[in-house]
Amino acid sequence: MSTPTTTTYEKHTLNTKKKSQWLDVWKRLKKSRTAVIGLILILVFLMLALFAPFIADYEKDALGMNVKERLQSPSLTHWFGTDEFGRDIFARIVYGTRISLFVGIISVSIALSLGGTLGAIAGYYGGRIDNAIMRVLDVLLAIPTILLAITIVAALGASILNLMIAVGISNIPGFARVVRASVLSVKDQEYIESARAIGARDHTIILKHVLPNSMAPIVVFATLKVASAIMATSSLSFIGLGIQPPTPEWGNMLAGGRAYIRDHMYIVLSPGLAIVLTVLSLNLIGDGLRDALDPKLK
Amino acid sequence: MSKIILEVKNLKKYFDSPKGKLHAVDDVSFAIEKGKTLGVVGESGCGKSTTGRVILRLLEATDGEIFYKGVNIRKLSAAKMRELRREMQIIFQDPFSSLDPRNTVSEIIEEPIILNKLIKNKKQRFERVLELMDLVGLSRRLINTYPHELDGGRRQRIGIARALALNTEFIVCDEPVSALDVSIQAQILNLLKNLQHKLGLTYIFITHDLSVVNHFSDDVAVMYLGKMVEKAPAEELFSHPVHPYTQALLSAIPRPTLDKHEKIILKGEITSPIEPEPICRFANRCRYAEDICRREEPQLETVEGEHEVACHRWRELEG
Amino acid sequence: MKDHILEIKDLHIQFNTDEGVVQALNGIDITLERGKTLGLVGETGAGKTTTALSILRLVPRPPGEVVRGSIILDGIPIMEQSEYEMEKIRGKTVSMIFQDPMTALNPVIKVGEQIAEAISIHQKLSKEKSLAKAREVLELVGIPGNRMQEYPHQFSGGMKQRVIIAIALSCSPKLLIADEPTTALDVTIQAQVLELMKELKQKFHMAMVMISHDLGVVAEVCDDVAIMYAGKIVEQGSLEDVFLRTKHPYTEGLFNSIPNIDDRKAELIPIRGLMSDPYNLPSGCPFFDRCDYAMDICRTEKPVKHSFSDTHFTECHLYTAQPEFSLKSKKTKE
Repeated sequence: MSTPTTTTYEKHTLNTKKKSQWLDVWKRLKKSRTAVIGLILILVFLMLALFAPFIADYEKDALGMNVKERLQSPSLTHWFGTDEFGRDIFARIVYGTRISLFVGIISVSIALSLGGTLGAIAGYYGGRIDNAIMRVLDVLLAIPTILLAITIVAALGASILNLMIAVGISNIPGFARVVRASVLSVKDQEYIESARAIGARDHTIILKHVLPNSMAPIVVFATLKVASAIMATSSLSFIGLGIQPPTPEWGNMLAGGRAYIRDHMYIVLSPGLAIVLTVLSLNLIGDGLRDALDPKLK
Repeated sequence: MSKIILEVKNLKKYFDSPKGKLHAVDDVSFAIEKGKTLGVVGESGCGKSTTGRVILRLLEATDGEIFYKGVNIRKLSAAKMRELRREMQIIFQDPFSSLDPRNTVSEIIEEPIILNKLIKNKKQRFERVLELMDLVGLSRRLINTYPHELDGGRRQRIGIARALALNTEFIVCDEPVSALDVSIQAQILNLLKNLQHKLGLTYIFITHDLSVVNHFSDDVAVMYLGKMVEKAPAEELFSHPVHPYTQALLSAIPRPTLDKHEKIILKGEITSPIEPEPICRFANRCRYAEDICRREEPQLETVEGEHEVACHRWRELEG
Repeated sequence: MKDHILEIKDLHIQFNTDEGVVQALNGIDITLERGKTLGLVGETGAGKTTTALSILRLVPRPPGEVVRGSIILDGIPIMEQSEYEMEKIRGKTVSMIFQDPMTALNPVIKVGEQIAEAISIHQKLSKEKSLAKAREVLELVGIPGNRMQEYPHQFSGGMKQRVIIAIALSCSPKLLIADEPTTALDVTIQAQVLELMKELKQKFHMAMVMISHDLGVVAEVCDDVAIMYAGKIVEQGSLEDVFLRTKHPYTEGLFNSIPNIDDRKAELIPIRGLMSDPYNLPSGCPFFDRCDYAMDICRTEKPVKHSFSDTHFTECHLYTAQPEFSLKSKKTKE
C-alpha cells in the first residue's frame, strides 16, 4: 500500500490548509440551542448599541425633555412609552445599551489584563512570588465586589471612567485566581517541559504554550464576568454612584422610574428587562462555551 | 579508544517534601560512549526519570557533576545551556501530554528550528520539516493535522522528529514505548534503532520494561530507590545478574512462552525514599539480607570487567 | 455436555456517536468452562473492555447498543434480566476488577468498611459479621487484618490492587473478570499479584476472564486464549494451541513484536500500519491491509470460522483454500 507522495512545497501549502481549532468550538457551540439564543440576543443588543444614532436621536429623543408627553404608555410613536420628563424610553434604552456593554467589556478587559498577568505569573513561577501575589489578592477578595467598587467610586468620584476602573479593579482577584488555576494545570504538562528542552525561554513558553492552552476556562469566566460587570454598573448607577442622570443608563433609569412604579410600571419594566436579557444571554453563552471548549466532551 | 560523550559523577537530586528530603537520585555515577545506549531500568519511584531530567538540566541537580563532551554542564549559564540543548534532547513517555494540543504537526516539528534560529528561510524550513517527517516515517499528508487526531504511535514519531530537528547527538528516551500497543511499540523501537545507526546517536534509554531494555541497550544500569544497584553490559547483566534485586526483577517478567520458570516473589513493601537510613535500601525485601545489610550502605564493587554491583553479600552468594 | 459458566453467542455491539457508528463488537463467541481462565488479548480499541462490560451488562447505553447476540451467565440469559436482577447478579455471580487501582477505591472510606459494604449488600449480614468477613478476605489477599482501619491513600499501588481483588472476591463470585489488573503495577508487584490471583482462582474454583495486552501475563495465568482484533475474535484456543500452533497472521505479528528477553539479538518484526478506523471498518477482513499473507478474497469477503480442533479456531481465509497452510515465521522458540 502506498500513499501518493506529494513533494513540492507549493502543493502542501495549497492542499492542506491548517484547520482552525476555533472552528470546531463554533461547531459545537452551534449545537447548543440555549447558547444560540444567547448569541442572537447579544447580537441584537450589539446592533442596537452600534446603530443607536440611526435608531433615535440622542439629543432630541433620549435627552430632550417634553413635559407635554410625560408618562405616556407604550404606543406606536413611543414604543416603550415615555418617562417622567417625557423622554422616549426606547431611545434611552438603546443608548443605555451602549454604556452597559461598553462599561462591561472595558472593565472586564481591565480586570483580565491586570488580574490575568498577575495570575499567570503566580501560577507559572509558583513559590514565594505566587504566595506574595495571591495573599494580597486574597485581602481584596475578602471585600465584597460591590462594596469594593463603591469604595473606589466614592474615592475617585462618579464618572464613566472611574466606574470602569472600579468595576475592573474589583474583579482583578477573581481573574487572577482563574488564570492561575488554569496555568497551574497546564504548567505540569509534558509539552511545557518539552518546550524547555528545545531551549525555549520563559516568556515564549508562557505566551506560546501556557496561555493558549489555559484559554478555555478564562474565556468562559470572562463572558460570565461581563454579565456581572453590567449588573454592577447598573447597581452602582441605581444608588447614584455610577452613571449620572440625565445620561441614560439602565440602572439610573430604574432609579428614576422607581417613584412611578405603581401607576406607570412600564418605566421600570423596560430597563429591568434589558438588564435581565443581557445578563441572561451572556450567561447562556458562557455556559455554552464551557461545554464547547471542554475537550473531554469530544 | 572509545569516546565518552557523557559522564555523570555522584549525581544527587533531593526534593523537598513535607516529611523531609526525598532522595530521588542518590549518588549515581556512570559514563556513556558515543553512539551507544545505556539502559536505565527500575520500578516506579526509583529515580530513573529524574536522572534523565537532571542530566538535561530540566531539573537542577542537588549535587554532583555532569560532563557532556568534557564540559561540566552544571556550571553553564542559561544561555550556554540553551545552546547545548541543540545537541541534547529528550523523548517523552506520554505521547498524549508531551505535544501541545494547539499546534499542528508541522508547528511542533519546526518549533525547535525557529527557536534556535537554525533555518530562517520559510521554504527551506518547510523542506526540513518534510525531511524530518520522512526520517521518522510520518506520512507527509499529516503535516497540518493536530496531535489529538493521531494515534499514539504517530504522536511518538512526532516527538522523535522534534527531538531530531536540531543537531541532536544525545537523546534521553524516557519510557518512549510504555504507552504504546505491542505492535506499535515494535515499530517505534525499530525506528529508534535505525536512527541511531543512521545518525550516530547516543541514547539513555529509561524504562521499566526489562525485555525492551535487553533488546535495545549496550549497557544496563539497574536502579532501586535512587541508588544504582547494578550496572553491566546488557548481555552480562541478563545472563549473570548478581544483585538479588536484579535477579528478582528478571525472574518476575512474564514471558510469552509456555516453559515455566521459577519466580522469585519479593515479600515486603518498598522502603520510603524520604530521608532513608544509610543502609541497604533493598534489605527489607531481600531474601538474603543479614545484619550488615541493615547496618551499612553497600558501595558499588566490580564483579568482573564492566560489571559492578552494590551488595554486601555478592561474593558469598556468587561462591 | 460440559458445564459452562459463560456462553456468549454472536454478540454485536455498536456505539452511536455524533461522528458516526463505531462497530465495537462484530460477532463474538465465547464459551468458558467453570473454573477455567480465558485470556482476552488485543490492542487498544480491539473491544476487550466492551466484551467484559457486556457480560456485566454495564456497557453505557446510550451510546452503546446491543445489535444482536446473547450472553448466558451461569444459566441466566443476561439480556433478559431486569436492572434489579442484574444488580443481584453483579458481585455475586460475576465480579470485575479494573485496571487502575488508584481510582477504584473511595478515598474517604476506610479500607475495611469498603470491603464490608460489598459483603453486606449481597449477603445480608450484620455490620459486625461483614467486618469480620472483610478482615478474613483481606488476610486472604495477604494484607494484615489490622490495616482494615486505614484509608486507601495509606496503601501502596500493589496493596490497593489486592484490596480491589479482596472486594471482588468477598462474595465468592463464580466468574471474575479482570481488566488489565496488573498493567498499572511494577514488575515485581505484578508478579506478587499474579501469584495471588492464581492461588485464589484454584482455591475458589472460580472461572476468570483476564483481559490483557501482555502475552506474557496471559501465558502465566490462563488456560485458554482469545486474540481480538477490531471487534472480532480472530483466533481462539488453548494456551498450547495459540502459543505453539499459531494460526492467525495477527497473532503471529503480536508474537514477533515482543522483544525476547532471552535473545537480545532477535530482530523485532512489527506489524505494519495501524488498526482500521473503527468508524469505517473494511468490508473484508479487518486485518487485510496489515497482513503479509493477504489475498484478493481478504479484501472483499469477511473470513469465517475455521476449526482445527474442538478448542482451536481462527477466522482467516488462508485455511479455507489450503487447510494445511502454515505461517512462515514464528520467532518464539517452542
